[in-house]
Amino acid sequence: MKLLIVEDDRSLSRSIYDYLKLEGHICEVALTLSDAKSKAAINKYDCIILDIGLPDGNGLDLIQEMKSNRLTGGILILSAKSSLDDKLVGLKIGADDYLTKPFHFAELSARISSIHRRNNFLGMNEIVFNEIKINTDDNQVHVNDKLLVLTKKEYDLLLFFMANRNRIITKESIVEHLWGDSVILTDSFDFVYTHVKNLRKKIVAAEGRNYIKCIYGFGYKFIDS
Amino acid sequence: MKLLTKSTFYFLLLSLVAMVAGGALLYFTIKKVIYRQIDESLITEKTIIEDQLKQTDTIPDFEANFGHQIEVKLLSYQVRNYQSIKDTDIYDPDSDSFIPYRYIYSKGNNVEKKGFIITIYQTLSEKNELLQDISLYMFFLFFSLLLISILINYLIARKLWKPFYDSVRIAGKFDIQGDKPLDLPETDIVEFNQLNVVFDNMTRKMRDDYLNLKEFSENASHEIQTPLAVIRSKADLLMQQKNLNKDSLNLVKSINEATNKLLKLNQGLLLISKIENQVFHEKKKVSLKRIAESGLNNYKEIMQLKKIKVEIDSTDEAMVEMNEVLADVLISNLLSNAVRFNVDGGFIKCHIDDTFLSITNSGFPMTTNPEDLFKRFHKYSEHSQSVGLGLSIVKKISESYGMSVSYTCSDSIHKIVLKYRQHVSYMG
Repeated sequence: MKLLIVEDDRSLSRSIYDYLKLEGHICEVALTLSDAKSKAAINKYDCIILDIGLPDGNGLDLIQEMKSNRLTGGILILSAKSSLDDKLVGLKIGADDYLTKPFHFAELSARISSIHRRNNFLGMNEIVFNEIKINTDDNQVHVNDKLLVLTKKEYDLLLFFMANRNRIITKESIVEHLWGDSVILTDSFDFVYTHVKNLRKKIVAAEGRNYIKCIYGFGYKFIDS
Repeated sequence: MKLLTKSTFYFLLLSLVAMVAGGALLYFTIKKVIYRQIDESLITEKTIIEDQLKQTDTIPDFEANFGHQIEVKLLSYQVRNYQSIKDTDIYDPDSDSFIPYRYIYSKGNNVEKKGFIITIYQTLSEKNELLQDISLYMFFLFFSLLLISILINYLIARKLWKPFYDSVRIAGKFDIQGDKPLDLPETDIVEFNQLNVVFDNMTRKMRDDYLNLKEFSENASHEIQTPLAVIRSKADLLMQQKNLNKDSLNLVKSINEATNKLLKLNQGLLLISKIENQVFHEKKKVSLKRIAESGLNNYKEIMQLKKIKVEIDSTDEAMVEMNEVLADVLISNLLSNAVRFNVDGGFIKCHIDDTFLSITNSGFPMTTNPEDLFKRFHKYSEHSQSVGLGLSIVKKISESYGMSVSYTCSDSIHKIVLKYRQHVSYMG
C-alpha cells in the first residue's frame, strides 16, 4: 500500500513511518498542510493518515480539497482532541475513520487495513491466510473450508491479528481494540488470555495451525510460519 | 441576631434607661415645685393668722376662707418660737382611708407673752392627682416618642444597610467556576463601596488564579499527550525488533506499562478538565437504559468468564438530556467497576426506573469510606493497576448534569445509585 503520513511532530511521524514501513507499506511524510496538499495532488495514495492540528492550518481542509478535486484514497484522521465535533465533521466531509492520539500501532494497522478493504471493490472482501479464509462481508471465517463459529469478540480479535501479522501485539492494545478506550480496564488482561485461548482452540480444532504465539508479559504475536 | 434587631434592641434599651431617668427627674422636680407652692401658701396663711393673733388675741375663723383645716390653740404661758412643715396621713372616716396631708406646725407668743400653737393642714390628694395626671401624660408622650423613634431608626437602618444585604446576596451566589466575575453594585455609602471593592478584587484574584490553574492543567495534560504518544510509539517499534534478548524485552515491557498508565491517567485528567470547561456541550436525549444494556453486552464474555450473574430490571427508558459521549463514559465506568471489583460467581443487579439507576454488585468488603472513592487518585486497593480516576469522572459528569451519585457498601455488597430526576409524586 502507498501511504501518506501527515503529522507535524517529527518524532511521531518518524515512528509511524518506521512502523508502517516494517509492515511493508510505501510511506511518505508531510509535516505541513501545504506539503500534504501538494503531495496529495501529485501522487495517488491508498490511504492518508492525517493529523488535524497542523501548524499551517486545519487538516480537515485537505479532505475538502481532495473531495472537490475528486481524488480517491482513504483518509484516517488522527487527532489529539477527542472532541466529538472534530470526529463528526471529519467523518461527514469524507474521512473514513478517526483515531485519537495516543494510539497503539496495532490499532493503526488494523484501521488502515480496514479502510483499504472497504475502499477496494475488487474482491478484497476476503482475507486469505494459508488455510484461514475470512469474508468481511458476511463476517464468516473458514479454516480448511470448514466454517468456524466465532463470537463477535473472537472474530474482531482474529481480524486484529491478521492486520498485525508478525508483530508483537500488547495486551493493552487488544483490550482497547475489543472493549474501547473509554473504559479503564487495565487490570483485566486475563480476559484477553481467555479470548485468545478460545480463538486458538477453535482454529486448531478445525485442523488449522497454531499461529498465535504468546510473548510472555507482553502479549501475542501472530506468526505465519 | 440580625444587625437591625440588635441595633433596635440597644436603642430601645438605652432609650428606656434615658426615659426612666428623665421621667423620674421630671417627676421629682414637679413634685418639688408643687410642695414649695403648698409650703408657701401654708406659711402665708400662718403669717396672717399669727398677725391677727398678735393683735386681737382672738381666734379667727379662717376655715371658710381657705378651705383648710386650721387649729389654733391659745396657751397661758410663754413658748419658744418654733415652726415645722411635715407630711402626715389622717384617717378620713367618710372614705375609710388615710388621706395624705401637708401641715405646718408653729408656736409663737403674742404681746402679752402668752403662747399659741397654729397647725394648718392642707390635703395633698388633689395635688397628687395632678402629679399623677402629669406623670401619665408624660409616660404616654415618652412612649409614643420611643415608638416613633424606633420605627424611624428601623426604617433608616433598613435603607442604609440595603446595599450591604444586596452585596451579601450577590456574593452568596458567586460561583468560581461560573462564567462571570463577581460584580457588586455601586452604592453611595463609602464604607460599603470599600467593602465591595475589596470583595471584587478578592474574588477576581481567586477567579484569575482558578482559571489560570485550570488552563494550566488542561494545557499541561494536552502538551504531555504528544510526547507520551511518541514514547509509546518508540516502545512499540522497539519491541518489534527481532534481535532483542529477554532482558531488553523486559525493559521495554516496563517502559510500555508505565507509559500506558501515564497515558490513562492523563486521558482521565484531560477528560475531567474538558467536562469542567464544558467542551461537551452538545446535548441530546439519550436512553440510559439502552446505554446500560449495550454496556453490559460489551462485558458479556468477561462476565461469563467470571461466572457473574447479571440481572436488569427496568421500568423506564430513563431518557435524560445529556451529551452522548459523556453518558457512555458515565455508564461504562460504573459497569466496568461492577465487573472489575466483582468476585468469581458473583452477581450484578441493575435497576432502572424513571428517577434513578442503581447498580448493585457482589465484591470484597470495603475498609475505606465509600464516599472517598469519588476523590481523585483514591484507589480501591494499593496493588490495583487502576489510576483511581474512574469514580471522580463519574462524579464530575453527574454533577455537571445536576445528577447525584452515591456509593454504599454493606459487608461485601456494593451499591451505587445515580439519581437523575427528583422524585415526582403524583396526586390521586
